[in-house]
Amino acid sequence: MIRAWRSDALVGILPLAALVALWWGIVAAGLAPRALLPSPVAVFGRTLASVADPAFLLHAWATLSRLFAGFLVALVLGVGLGLAGATNRFVGGVLRPVVRILAPVPKIALYPAFVLSLGFGDASKIVLVVADALFPILLATYQGAARVEPKLVWSALAAGTSRRAAVWTVVLPATLPSILTGSRIGLVVACIVVFLAEMITSTDGLGYLLVRAARSFQTVEMFVPLIAISALGLALNGALAALRRRLLAGFPNED
Amino acid sequence: MTAAATRAGAALRPGLPPLLACLGLLACWQALAHLLTTGGMPDAVATFRELPAILGDQEALGDILDSLRRMALGFAIAVALSVPLGLAMGRSRLVASLVNPLLMVSYPVPKAALMPIIMLWLGVGDASKLLVIVLGASLPVIYHAYQGARAVEEKMIWSARAMGMSGASRLLRIVLPAALPEILVGCRTGIVLSLITMVTSEMIARQTGAGNILFNALDMAQYETVYAMILVIGALGIVLDVAFERARAALVGWSDEPDAIGVTAA
Amino acid sequence: MAQAALIDPSHPPEQSTAPRPAAVEIAGVTKTFQRRTGGTHLALAPIDLAVADGEFVSILGPSGCGKSTLLYIVGGFVPPSTGAVTVGGRPVTGPGPDRGPVFQEFALFPWKTVLGNVAYGPRQAGASKADAETKARGLLARVGLSAYETFYPKELSGGMKQRVAIARTLAYDPAILLMDEPFGALDAHTRLKLQNDLLALWERDRKTVLFVTHAVDEAVYLSDRIVVMSRQPGRIKEIVPVDLPRPRHRDELLLDARYQRYVIDIERLIEDPPEEAGA
Repeated sequence: MIRAWRSDALVGILPLAALVALWWGIVAAGLAPRALLPSPVAVFGRTLASVADPAFLLHAWATLSRLFAGFLVALVLGVGLGLAGATNRFVGGVLRPVVRILAPVPKIALYPAFVLSLGFGDASKIVLVVADALFPILLATYQGAARVEPKLVWSALAAGTSRRAAVWTVVLPATLPSILTGSRIGLVVACIVVFLAEMITSTDGLGYLLVRAARSFQTVEMFVPLIAISALGLALNGALAALRRRLLAGFPNED
Repeated sequence: MTAAATRAGAALRPGLPPLLACLGLLACWQALAHLLTTGGMPDAVATFRELPAILGDQEALGDILDSLRRMALGFAIAVALSVPLGLAMGRSRLVASLVNPLLMVSYPVPKAALMPIIMLWLGVGDASKLLVIVLGASLPVIYHAYQGARAVEEKMIWSARAMGMSGASRLLRIVLPAALPEILVGCRTGIVLSLITMVTSEMIARQTGAGNILFNALDMAQYETVYAMILVIGALGIVLDVAFERARAALVGWSDEPDAIGVTAA
Repeated sequence: MAQAALIDPSHPPEQSTAPRPAAVEIAGVTKTFQRRTGGTHLALAPIDLAVADGEFVSILGPSGCGKSTLLYIVGGFVPPSTGAVTVGGRPVTGPGPDRGPVFQEFALFPWKTVLGNVAYGPRQAGASKADAETKARGLLARVGLSAYETFYPKELSGGMKQRVAIARTLAYDPAILLMDEPFGALDAHTRLKLQNDLLALWERDRKTVLFVTHAVDEAVYLSDRIVVMSRQPGRIKEIVPVDLPRPRHRDELLLDARYQRYVIDIERLIEDPPEEAGA
């Protein structure tokens, strides 16, 4: 199993390496002007140098802190509403149609409204992250909680657990796999949307760095924040996967 | 709790409740606008009054229709490219392990953020915007086609082989129909994502389109127009989603209702 | 015909069954389900049944006869449409620790270890973690799973999972066990083994047991009385007292003509539902 996985990972490096090689080849052969496509050596060199640059790290931190603040609020709201909707008839009856309406609305279009009511600072960006990351988490929680085997709940009720307490002691842990799946999507969405908000209106953050570089046509600098957000997303995803393995030790395996 | 479980399948189905929810949300907006007297937020009634002005303006309407045309084309190209790729990934471990890392790396990158770079290469015209929309809509379609093809019952393939079907026709005549319900789940997410990518890329590139109108109005402090455009774009998202869900139900009514998690991000 | 052999005048029912108080009293219970297409479906016609304290009663019937629904109503998991259930003289309004369920699907908490699952009931009853675990260890020893306390349910075989589920239920010491086809998902060999173990456990504690099954041999082997149900709508067709000596041993019973007679007669009773015979 482990060996198979390793060989898969090895095969997986190939297309990435080939892509970079192709990129390097195009630049080396002089097929594209440097101003339009800098060499991968320059791009990755600059990215590595940035990681040691305190100014860059401040921008990365601005992005990361907005991302986390928004994601955590979305997590609490999404799990809370999802559980309530699945376990309470009334809440579910109100929640379902409201979610049906709001989920397909492009949240980024609401951003100007957030800016108008909350200003250009952190608050409007965090609210946008919440609005975008909320729905994958909420829907996954709701669907997971609605599918919890009723006999698990019955087993707890028979042991003397109250209906209210069973939501926390049975429905919540039984829904954990779905919650983590929703969180994984929510986290990627949060990465994307915080970056976009910073591109649209900001004076700091990775998204701002991209816009600043684009305004002065510094092509190398344009790639750096993109690589940074990709790496950030991968790292967060990896951390969540590790958390998942820990938390779901007892659950049947799935991928 | 049992009641909720039995209703889970029927959840989120179009009908009267969403209509009531719409009215409820608009009522909340109306109330909020009157409670917050900061001035930045026009109420729902004022915003609706603004709608004819935008939709009646030839130029603005032309811009919006142009955006929609790009969106539809981008989505169509994305589906045409992503479905075969996803199916191939689902049936071939080699293809999957080659493509998966590329997807993993590109997942957290906002596709609309590639706009500045792509514009360097392809100019500010349709081609750049189209490419960004294709990129934005592809990922969920690829992912769901992959999952759908992977879940196809092995025995179905065996019987097709036994009947002497070739690899290509197996993919077309067995794997594709079997994976169709899952593919359509991906497409549903993809179509909303293409709308989002379209709006976002126009917000960033700021030449034409619905996203551009939205931000120009913000710059010029025309708050009614800002909210009216939000209403238009939001309604587009809802209409696309409902229309797609109808089409899906008509196409694959035979399959169990899949639990689509409506992932929507730019 | 069939009934004649079952009612054997030379073996009057045990004296102890007559004066014992009713542990469970089911009076006029019906269940109607709403059809998805509209209209209603009568799953249970009025059911009356009294189960004595310490009695082992099986509810036997074809699938769809509502036997599990009846058990869920006694458990308080599903409300009856009409009628009432009293347990120990008190009306049932919901689940409670006096009635412990054991399900065919095991329904173990996947996020808890074997020990955590069994300690759940005592913890809910307010025992300290240490006390609950001591109690759980004792029960795991009784079901022969002491070596597995740190395992997660997914790491166990079906038979082991059901032992854990039984231990989890016994841990809060319910007066009545409600067993819903508990061995239905197990292979034939494991099934026999668990039947023996259940009998041994029961003979020690003499808890009241309501045992839903569709296996005739299982019902005859285990029960004091067998409630045979028929379907459409689910109702009691016949109540058969099983007058076989205890403790019972399978190898002896299999050779016992009376055991064989019970199995054959009850199988006939199920095979030949009156509504089909009439048609």
